[in-house]
Amino acid sequence: MVSAKRKRDEQDVENTSPRKLRTQTVEDDRVSELEAQTPSRRGRGLVQENGTPRSILKQSGLRTEFGATPRSNRRLLFATPTKAASDETPSGTPTIVRNADRSARRKSNRKLIDRTINGPDSEDEALDEEDMLAQQILSEEEHGQDEEQDTEAGAQEAVPVPETPSKRPRGRPKGTGKNQLAAKARKEREPTPPNELPAHEVYFWQNRPGGTKTSNNTLPSHTLLNHDEYFDTMQSYADRHKPEKDFLLELHSRAYDQWIFELEEGFNICLYGYGSKRAITDEFTARIYQHLLDQAPYRGTKKTPKIAVINGYTPGVILKDILTTVASAAIPKSGKLPNQPASLLNYILDHLSRNPPPHPLLIVINSIDSANLRKHPTPAMLALLAAHPSINLVCTADTPNFPLLWDVGLRAQYKFLFHDATTFATYNVEIDTVETVNELLGRSGRRIGGRDGVGFVLKSLPEHARALFRIIVTEQLALAYMEDEEQAEDEELAATSKSKRNGPRAAPEATQGVEYRTLYHKARDEFVCTSEVAFRTLLKEFHDHQMIESRKDSMGTERLVVPFRQEELETLVEELAGGDAF
Amino acid sequence: MEHERCYIYTPPEQETTLEEADSATQGKIVNFVTANAPSEDEPRISIPTGLIVAGPSIASHGPYFERLGRRIRDDTGSSYVVLTSGESPNLKTFLKNLIKKITSRTEEDDDDDDDGIGRVTSSSRRGPKLLDFDLGHVLEWSSRNRVQSIVVAIQDSDAFDTGLLVEMVDLFYSWLDRLPFVLLLGIATSAESFEDRLSGKSLRYLDGQQFDVTQSDEIIEKLFRATVAHPGTEPQIGPAICRRIHERQKDHVQNVQDFVHGLKYAYMSHFYANPATIFLKPEPTFTDFSPEAFEAVRNLPYIEEKLEVGETQDVRKLLDSDKLLFEVIKELLVTVKGSLSSLSIAAIVLTRIRESLGNTPRVRLSTVWARAASGDLLESPLLRETMLSIKKAPSDRLMRVIDSLIDFTKQDANIDSEDIDLPVELERLHDELKTLIEENASSGPLRSQDDVRNESVRTTVVAQKVLLSKHKAALSEQDKAYSEVVAKLYQQLDSYFRFALVDPRTFFLYEILVYDLKSPHTEVFQPKPRLAIERALTTPHDYLGCQCCGAMQDSENTLASTQPETAILYQLYLESGALINASDLWSAFNAIVGKEDEEDQSQTMALFQRALAELKFLGHVKPSRKKADHVAKMMWKGL
Repeated sequence: MVSAKRKRDEQDVENTSPRKLRTQTVEDDRVSELEAQTPSRRGRGLVQENGTPRSILKQSGLRTEFGATPRSNRRLLFATPTKAASDETPSGTPTIVRNADRSARRKSNRKLIDRTINGPDSEDEALDEEDMLAQQILSEEEHGQDEEQDTEAGAQEAVPVPETPSKRPRGRPKGTGKNQLAAKARKEREPTPPNELPAHEVYFWQNRPGGTKTSNNTLPSHTLLNHDEYFDTMQSYADRHKPEKDFLLELHSRAYDQWIFELEEGFNICLYGYGSKRAITDEFTARIYQHLLDQAPYRGTKKTPKIAVINGYTPGVILKDILTTVASAAIPKSGKLPNQPASLLNYILDHLSRNPPPHPLLIVINSIDSANLRKHPTPAMLALLAAHPSINLVCTADTPNFPLLWDVGLRAQYKFLFHDATTFATYNVEIDTVETVNELLGRSGRRIGGRDGVGFVLKSLPEHARALFRIIVTEQLALAYMEDEEQAEDEELAATSKSKRNGPRAAPEATQGVEYRTLYHKARDEFVCTSEVAFRTLLKEFHDHQMIESRKDSMGTERLVVPFRQEELETLVEELAGGDAF
Repeated sequence: MEHERCYIYTPPEQETTLEEADSATQGKIVNFVTANAPSEDEPRISIPTGLIVAGPSIASHGPYFERLGRRIRDDTGSSYVVLTSGESPNLKTFLKNLIKKITSRTEEDDDDDDDGIGRVTSSSRRGPKLLDFDLGHVLEWSSRNRVQSIVVAIQDSDAFDTGLLVEMVDLFYSWLDRLPFVLLLGIATSAESFEDRLSGKSLRYLDGQQFDVTQSDEIIEKLFRATVAHPGTEPQIGPAICRRIHERQKDHVQNVQDFVHGLKYAYMSHFYANPATIFLKPEPTFTDFSPEAFEAVRNLPYIEEKLEVGETQDVRKLLDSDKLLFEVIKELLVTVKGSLSSLSIAAIVLTRIRESLGNTPRVRLSTVWARAASGDLLESPLLRETMLSIKKAPSDRLMRVIDSLIDFTKQDANIDSEDIDLPVELERLHDELKTLIEENASSGPLRSQDDVRNESVRTTVVAQKVLLSKHKAALSEQDKAYSEVVAKLYQQLDSYFRFALVDPRTFFLYEILVYDLKSPHTEVFQPKPRLAIERALTTPHDYLGCQCCGAMQDSENTLASTQPETAILYQLYLESGALINASDLWSAFNAIVGKEDEEDQSQTMALFQRALAELKFLGHVKPSRKKADHVAKMMWKGL
């Protein structure tokens, strides 16, 4: 997980050159992060060292010792406890500490041996052995990060050991120790993001427990553009890759003849790849139209071939629309068409079998894998349609996993040939960008113009409708607060696990919103409505204005949610209660 | 548009082959239906039920039941309907569809499809109008049309709700005294598992009989024999693509239609993409061809190879004169075609020999053929082993081999105009062998000198050492004569294989006669759409080929601010964990895309929004309610 901090760092330094920054290896980033983080920790360590009376006591004790042994005075610089404590932290990786400890022990052993060999004339003889050992460990840790230095120090054994302060116990001072524990925990949670892992390892890496640590930053609500702003901005934007994209289209257009040939041989065509393929299907349809115009039944006559084009991405398009369009192209207008999709399909197929047209009817479906056309009977019915010899199907598919729509049987019926038609064109028509992003970030309330919009709607509604809305909002807020409290308690209980720290208004999906039943009882208690019918009528009004959304939770109970963020809900409630706004 | 003129591919008689393949089972089913026609004097006590075990390749079930239906209707004069699980979510719909299909009633009143329930209209003269899921309709219809029996075929019984099946059986049983139902149940798993699903009560109503349908891999083998390995086929499919089609069959689709489509597409690509294929035109004349076609032939690698060998004179002539080249092509096409078809025949001969010898493991013709076509059959252990076992074969087996080969030459001669001529004196050997067998007095078959049974191992102890010596038993006169026959057959077959099994890829014009490119074939039938999208987004340069993004190609990290926005956002997305903070994502995006001197971020924001919306559209992210302004990651690259 790339920590939020890292990103912010990047942003801070961004004014140098973004590209260069990006090209830095990940290790570099880690290092810079370490450096960036260290000061704060050091600061904390300082406070703890100096803040607790115990350490002061110890320090004073140390000073008296210094006084007794003047020789060591010059070492004072290296040996200040604060320095030692602060230096520990960066080297905080447990392995390094352990290594340092080990090497210290090794060295002190060697020293003991040295002393026994050289006799008691050693310089440090006067010192307390215990003290010395501890001292050595400490001083070694000072250089702990650097093995070379370590060995060097080991070689020059003659150099007097800084015998300075350290009446401390061998372990860390309490405060530092805890600090280090925390540091250790943090370290384990976000080690260096590994490079070049195989795909499945990346998956497990990114899904490891506790791996989803993200910052609590939120987008200020005014940064997201609304429709007008978005389109204004986009109009003035010039795509730098325009020539390449045009070239790509041109490349695809060279395959049109081949596709026509394939269609004539009874195959159907499915185009996939990144980018909107509408331009291709449009052009191809035009090409086929010309091609057909030159052929037998149309040549020299005023008759024109018919081609059915269906845009699967249109919101709310259903199978029946497709079939009706196909029917209108395939069957000359006569009488009433069957109403049910299944019978309409049979009717079309029947008609085509009985009066086969001079050439197969071309059906173009843009985005055959759109959410509208994924639902159960549609793929099977379209397969039946495509399997008919008098039908040619050209379709595009946008999502990466679209082949999962069709099992072996359907696949055989579709008789698809697949062509990669990556265009890099933007999905201008397919996606409502602003709306999609709002929905993605849970801000669908912006749809009705935010709080002001709600105000307008409420103003036009009778008193008890307003009262009902107030109840919903208050209830939702109350639930959210309860949620927060519970969470806070949870966190106190499990103080160590910090990974679950959620944002301020983050209620889990299951418990968001007010239960329908509860709300009804509340409303009745407050004399907002007297019957469920009246209650429903009021709700419908809100629903129509998209001021509330209805969801089913995991138990299947219906919940009503006002699609606003908590802060907005709070202001809303204030306004509703004050009555001044509405 | 040359491909259109010379595109002479005719789809193989797949229909006939398929019909042949399952005609035996279908005949049995038809007999079953006929045998269970109701008779006046004998009331039926259970529903006659055919359990058709059609195997796991569900894609071929549809066409199978269609063919079966045609045959049943034609042969027995019964009414036949197929129902699938898709159109039968519940009993009511099931019955509605059933009635609609049996009575071929057009739906004149489908507007009130749903409010027809409980509505009793008095429009009919004979009392209340029947509801549209009342089997009374069928009764009325059958009183008007005399049918022997009503065959209800259920194509995918495994996909039916068990409750629905039970109800259906109950209902049919209760109408059995009035309507002559025969049930045919398509089963993809096994008859036992079908039986397990039904209760004892329902089972007692059924009188079942099991039919096993030819499995699709066997049908495909037959199709292969009739198409690819057929000696007269031109152009041919190359070994690589042949293996590929078979692998796909085995691993993914198991579907006869798909096999046929694959073949067809291979032929299509051959004619579409290779201009030289124009020479395959039947009865070519020099004026038919444009200079470009000759140029295409001159670009074949064979010419270059010839040059390297040093036959510059010949090549010069070919390069200079279209006329001469045409003559050479015309001549060569015939000979190369001949070699190719003799290669196919050799493959078939080898398979047949193995079959009649009973050699194990069984090797399919498709495997043998693919090896022959890639030119490595001659040196293969497979051939050596087969030839050795011919040497050792006893007379009865050898007789079978010879019979089978004679059969092969005769049988295929009927289909093809040309006679298949094996350079083996089969007839003479057959006669010789026959007389030998007739003269043979002993009960056992004749054995050749190489047969192990004519060897005995003798153990002798010499100077405390054990010596094992193989000893040929003394051969009888007849066995000696038989050994001669075997040796003759062996020699002739051996020289035949040596002659026929050449590496076809060394031929001039091989490229015209054989299509062996896997490139469009794989992509067209086994697309990797996810990979394509991931590639487009991670390395847009691959598709766009632009200067700006290409410069970054060398370095490890390919993220550049010049790339399309969605590609940038996608790469940031790849780096993040399962939950993504949209705000941080925006900061990172802004850091890369945003211009520093610009106060107004609205354009960057617009691009960000667009990129994010596209990722959502492609199904990479979904809203998450775990935290504010977070989105959940849905796809991991490369999985």
